[in-house]
Amino acid sequence: MDAGLVLQVVLAGLSAGAVLGLVALGFTLIAGTVRVLHLAHGDVVVASVFAGVLGVLGRTPVASLLGPGRSVEFVLLVLAAGAVLAGLIAVVAVRPYLPDVRRGRPADALGWVAGGVAAGLLLRAVLGLLLPQEGYAVPDPLRLASWTSDGLVHLPGGSTLPVRTVGVLVLGVLVGVLVEEFLVRSRFGRSLRAVADDPDAAALCGVNAGRVVLVAFLAAGLLAGLAGLLDAPGRAVSVDDGVVLGLEGIAAALLGGPGSLRGALAGGLALGLLQAVAVYAGGASLQDVAPLSLLVVLLALRPQGLRR
Amino acid sequence: MSAVDLAQALWLLVAALGLALSVSYAGLPVLGQGAFVAVGAYGTALLGPGGEGWPLGIACAASVLAAGLLGHLVAVGASRIEGAYLALATWALAWLVQRILLAYPDLTGGADGLTRPSPAHLVSPALGLDLVLTPTVHVVVVALLCLALVGVLVRLDRGPAGLDLAALREGPSLAASLGIPVASRRRTVFTATAALGALSGAGSTVLLGLVAPSDVSPLVSLQLLVAVLLGGTARWWGPVLGVAVLTALPPIADALATSGGLDVERSRGVLTAALLVAVLALRGPVGRRLAHPGPPPGPPATAAAPHHDPARPVLLQASGLDVSYDGVVALADAGIVLRGGEVHALIGPNGSGKSTLLKALAGDLSTGTVEIAGIVHHARDVQDRVRVGVARTPQHNVVMPRLAADQQVAVGARGGARPSYAVVRHLLATPSSRQTGQAAVVTRALDEVGLLHVVGADPQRLTSGDQRLLQVARAVATGARVLLLDEPAAGMTADERSRLGGVLRTLAGNGRAVLLVEHDMRLVGEVADRVTVLDVGRVLATGPVDVVRAHPAVRRAYLGIPEVPA
Repeated sequence: MDAGLVLQVVLAGLSAGAVLGLVALGFTLIAGTVRVLHLAHGDVVVASVFAGVLGVLGRTPVASLLGPGRSVEFVLLVLAAGAVLAGLIAVVAVRPYLPDVRRGRPADALGWVAGGVAAGLLLRAVLGLLLPQEGYAVPDPLRLASWTSDGLVHLPGGSTLPVRTVGVLVLGVLVGVLVEEFLVRSRFGRSLRAVADDPDAAALCGVNAGRVVLVAFLAAGLLAGLAGLLDAPGRAVSVDDGVVLGLEGIAAALLGGPGSLRGALAGGLALGLLQAVAVYAGGASLQDVAPLSLLVVLLALRPQGLRR
Repeated sequence: MSAVDLAQALWLLVAALGLALSVSYAGLPVLGQGAFVAVGAYGTALLGPGGEGWPLGIACAASVLAAGLLGHLVAVGASRIEGAYLALATWALAWLVQRILLAYPDLTGGADGLTRPSPAHLVSPALGLDLVLTPTVHVVVVALLCLALVGVLVRLDRGPAGLDLAALREGPSLAASLGIPVASRRRTVFTATAALGALSGAGSTVLLGLVAPSDVSPLVSLQLLVAVLLGGTARWWGPVLGVAVLTALPPIADALATSGGLDVERSRGVLTAALLVAVLALRGPVGRRLAHPGPPPGPPATAAAPHHDPARPVLLQASGLDVSYDGVVALADAGIVLRGGEVHALIGPNGSGKSTLLKALAGDLSTGTVEIAGIVHHARDVQDRVRVGVARTPQHNVVMPRLAADQQVAVGARGGARPSYAVVRHLLATPSSRQTGQAAVVTRALDEVGLLHVVGADPQRLTSGDQRLLQVARAVATGARVLLLDEPAAGMTADERSRLGGVLRTLAGNGRAVLLVEHDMRLVGEVADRVTVLDVGRVLATGPVDVVRAHPAVRRAYLGIPEVPA
């Protein structure tokens, strides 16, 4: 096996991993602040992309190159859709089942678990009614493929890699680190984490817990939109892809250690690499089977995650 | 409705009843019953006639066993994790199985699935048997099976094993403190759920001679969950009604789809999601309306036999207790001696290690030496301590909703009993002397804490003082000789405090050792025989109340602090 091939597998894996890291980041943000497992997060990623497609290209999209104006329109639409969908899920499917001391309402985990799953199912089913095809090509507003003249990166040993793959890796890691730094350093991020550390004390300081839930979901929704923008172009996307993407994001988050934002990014890269190696060694059938098996085994053995 | 349709609905009911055991009886959120149905269905198709060619019965049994094993493996991890993670694990399992079915078409037939000769023959040369499994035969067999399962659920609901499950569902940590083996009960229940799911899958595969991934998809898992949640908590008819609704669902979805020119699978998805949301929203109100008051109380109160022991024997002796959390010392070589017939108060400033000491005595932490009635006792967990007669009440009021006051106490009475085969014995036997004996225990415990008047009441309607006393009664009902009470007077009015004082004297007067963690020095002065003072994890002083009060170090460290919380 020559160096170029190794590099090809590794870079492709890390590129997919950068996207998984962004998905995991959104999941961890919510798990860390609201103490809720956001089981519809992956569906929000895919649904926000298709909301952009529906808005810009309509129900029979043709993946042509978008002009600058429509590219901006597409990006903004995807991000807004991510935030709106996540916010709706927070208000309708999650918040009613969180504990509320003032109203004497106990926590209802089955409520928000099933609420999240129902929300994801509804997103998939409604999108599936609007977009009946098996898969869709999604336009790339960032035009990552046109970074080099032939759309390829030439690796030593004669093997090549789509330049998109490298672009997604670079942008994904960059965005992930920036968002992570923002959440760790900014006032906004600090107040979110203060609520997570001690909800009672935060409530005493006048922080509105209900609004924090909404804000955390909105932020995670924006992250979902970002992940979708990077991930969706360049392959055929099906409206059903979201669930497994979300579960892979959760596996990445668990790999990186629960509650750790940086761990989520690292976990994403690790899982992407693992997936690429598994597919290289064991065939394409392991594409989804490998990460899902890892998730089930992780949950059965160490539900608290690998770190700590 | 043809015989095939009826048989198919009944096989689905088997999976739903199995799921109900986990979800609505034991409170485990299982989102992946479809995965276990798949193991049964594909196992039978792959191993049985038309596949490996094993005899049909053996192929079915093997795949049910395999699903049970898989369920057990998931449950081994899941019994340790909190509810939401179990939901996640089972949801991931549902998708994993679905993706495996699609990823290996050579083995599983991919999206088309597998076909097998139908109707199947059940052949046994040894018995001279060659039974053609027509749909009618299926209906008879599976109807009997469903009746038996419903019978099991009804019995579970009425008896002590069901009470264990209720405790598991309503308050897992409390159930553990009352001696119920939470983890092993969860494993048992979950394994049964998985096995019944597999049986359902095997049955409908044999019936139809066909299995495809869409029959065992995550969507089916969610539909089964809807079916189970429809009846609310612990009601056997829930799954029955739910499966009836599910059977009506496809025709409705298909009609909607054809009239609107929409995709059939998608419109089923929309309907399922809508049903799930509706069921969740209705769960609360309908559940409250249907909630029935508890069963009538047991036989009339037998007067608690006062058991006065003038010698005041040492019931519990602990020494060399060392605990630190992340380098912060919580207990340093602490110890305590508890005698029967005495109320022993444990006082000390916040963070002095009172709760940690209680945990160590209750078997929650393993440190030092703990002797129970003169014999060194090693406890692996809280349950082990409960079995030798040491029970603790939680610091906060933990009430299991949906269980009447006396049932809450009955949970405690169950806890001390040996758990092995209790379920089996309960299912086979009629209400026994054992159960009537238990009712007497409950009544006696309620009598001792002066709560006989609340039998059958909704515990959430009780005053917080009565709720505190109910916790004590629950611990008493475990048969404990040593009671560890963590701030039982918290949140009580002055009247309730003096009532509590009387109850504590009664409990001690009946020969028990009572350890009382308390801030209110007036209450301590009124009821305690002895006091132990903790300061930064060390025993500052221990002895009769007056002696300790006079101790200079105690006056400095504790009593001297002006803002002693009342």
